[in-house]
Amino acid sequence: MNQIKEDRRQWQDGMAKSITFIVTKDCQLACKYCYLVGKNEKERMTFEVAKQAIDYILEREEEFNEESVTWDFIGGEPFLEIELIDKICDYLKQRMFELNHHWFNSYRFNFSTNGINYDSKPVQDYIKKNITHLSIGITIDGTELKHDLNRVYKHSGKGSYKDVVKNIPLWLEQFPGAGTKVTISSADIPYIKESVLHLYSLGIKQVNINVVFEDVWKEGDDKLFEEQLMILADEIIEKEYYREYTCSFFSERLGKPLDKKLMNQNWCGAGKMLSIDAQGNFYPCTRFAQYSLRDKQALIIGNVKEGINKNLLRPFLCLDRCTQSKQECIDCEVAEGCAWCQGENYDAAKTNTIYERSTAICKMHKARVRANNYYWNKLFRKLELEGEREKFEKNKKEFNEKIC
Amino acid sequence: MLKYLVILLDEKSVSFCHYENPVKENKLISKEDLKAGILFAMKENLNIQFVYPSEELPKEYSEIINTIDHSDIKPISKQRADVLICNSVTEFSNNEINKEQVYVIRTKKEDFFTNLSLLKKNIFKVQRVNMVLTDIDTFSEKDFEKYKEALKELSLETEKQIGKGGFSQINILTDRIMLKQMNNCNAGAEVITLAPNGKFYVCPAFYLEDEKQSIGSLSEGVNIKNAQLYQLDHAPLCRICDSYHCKRCVWLNKKTTFELNTPSHEQCVVSHLERNAAKDLLLKTQIFDNEIKEIDYLDPFEVREQW
Ligand code: SF4
Ligand code: SF4
Repeated sequence: MNQIKEDRRQWQDGMAKSITFIVTKDCQLACKYCYLVGKNEKERMTFEVAKQAIDYILEREEEFNEESVTWDFIGGEPFLEIELIDKICDYLKQRMFELNHHWFNSYRFNFSTNGINYDSKPVQDYIKKNITHLSIGITIDGTELKHDLNRVYKHSGKGSYKDVVKNIPLWLEQFPGAGTKVTISSADIPYIKESVLHLYSLGIKQVNINVVFEDVWKEGDDKLFEEQLMILADEIIEKEYYREYTCSFFSERLGKPLDKKLMNQNWCGAGKMLSIDAQGNFYPCTRFAQYSLRDKQALIIGNVKEGINKNLLRPFLCLDRCTQSKQECIDCEVAEGCAWCQGENYDAAKTNTIYERSTAICKMHKARVRANNYYWNKLFRKLELEGEREKFEKNKKEFNEKIC
Repeated sequence: MLKYLVILLDEKSVSFCHYENPVKENKLISKEDLKAGILFAMKENLNIQFVYPSEELPKEYSEIINTIDHSDIKPISKQRADVLICNSVTEFSNNEINKEQVYVIRTKKEDFFTNLSLLKKNIFKVQRVNMVLTDIDTFSEKDFEKYKEALKELSLETEKQIGKGGFSQINILTDRIMLKQMNNCNAGAEVITLAPNGKFYVCPAFYLEDEKQSIGSLSEGVNIKNAQLYQLDHAPLCRICDSYHCKRCVWLNKKTTFELNTPSHEQCVVSHLERNAAKDLLLKTQIFDNEIKEIDYLDPFEVREQW
């Protein structure tokens, strides 16, 4: 147990600071599951606001003392603002260098994009200029049918699959080993297996897939989900995808009880991250900005002019698993890997608090655990019979689950 | 478990704590609600504390009030009550001070620092004073320094008084000496408030801030949403803290950190300065059989549990 505690601590200490610029709230698409309730075409960040935020952060090196930093750009669709982003990144590099900031040697720019204008000249120029410090994730939901079910153009309602998929080879060439993020809602369950396999067939080796945290699940969804994951498991094992490909639904670190004291850490990084919007407001994570909340007021923790109100960060930095969980979750036999999002917790809470964990995914997690157990039992048996288990254990990739 | 019911007899009932009461017009609780409140307390086994305005109450009200064992909280102008409230050190000092009384002195840092000598002169004349600093959230590093010095002065006086065989309780200095476990305000956990509108609130501060924050009514009973967040075991910093005398004010917490269960930096530092002053006083006088440890932080946030 102590060993586990030690490992987690090291991983957390080594965590990079994640700083997110919400550069635009506009997007070409109007995805049906998009959590951004308040998307619009008006709110774009100005360079001036970005600059003030950067100055505030870089001039406080002792406060922002994480070893490394990820500068995240999100939207809407961030590449709609590629010129602004290019300018921001130039300024960032210049200032980190001039200030002799320790992040100059350890920074990364990160994007989640819908991939539609990935091949455009401005985007490509930007990529070439920054390629050594860049990671980009393109979102594809799976097969054309599945993708176009949700990811449709704002005005025409037409599916966007073809416009994205044409850019995949270029993307994979520029970022070999890049992964994609898939979000599963109730209507998507029947397509899980074919979607994951389809993404593999496009050459995407790492599929980060998870179910949404919102309370969208219908009666029987957990059974269906379990069945889908089991046929996906069969396929991955039969076709031996497990040698090179990963799917985040299957993880060895899943479905064990959690010790109340030693395994009490918060899941979500809100509060250790920082988001900045077009008005120059700071948030503990983008999910607390008004455009991503359904029922609650934005939780603003400061702004570029007055700085961060540290008292407002205290609740986030004091969060632990048990204090925000119901007894049922504390005692749960399969708690490990059951995730939550602080923003969704806040949005769904009975009162204005981040200390009430939403458990809308409970039955989905339990279904996942059952399918996951099936997967590993089946896979290990096969490997043992083939005398390959040891080799598999040695080469297996450690895999950090990304849930948001 | 609930133990106390505070009943605000009037919209203008005096503030006895961190919040201000800006109400200018009297509006009494209805006699029906007053009776129903008393009945509720009897059935739930709650001790009642009535809070009064400075105006006289009609006779029928006094009759209803006297149907039950209770304590009275009144403005200092009333001269007699279980607890008398003054709104500054000067107000306390300018009134006739009664030895047997318990006083609450609501004060702001400026008033407190400026009138410290006046306070020292009068505070030892009574058996107990509760100091309430209503602007803790505005304390700066400099104020912390001044506060530490002020506590030292009060402590010296207390020492002298003990030398002479006397002892006055001053919450910010002597409570911690006597406590062996947490003793906080406990609004929402042990105490709730009945407002003149017939609804329940966590404390008068929540009522005066926004009437919509009620936690139930006389007709429907009490229903506190996320009630666990008022409990000590759900307060990540306070549960590891030994500033046992701290009010742990959930209303100030909400105001400063947006969470009921998380205190501000200023709250914790102020309480720890008090705790440390108590520790020194205890060490010097050994007046109670208690132990307060030496610690090297003023804000438990610095030593919070991390995984
Ligand atoms: S000093 Fe801070 S942590 Fe301790 S009881 Fe008071 S508010 Fe809570
Ligand atoms: S919550 Fe308690 S300490 Fe805070 S203002 Fe109300 S009565 Fe006073």
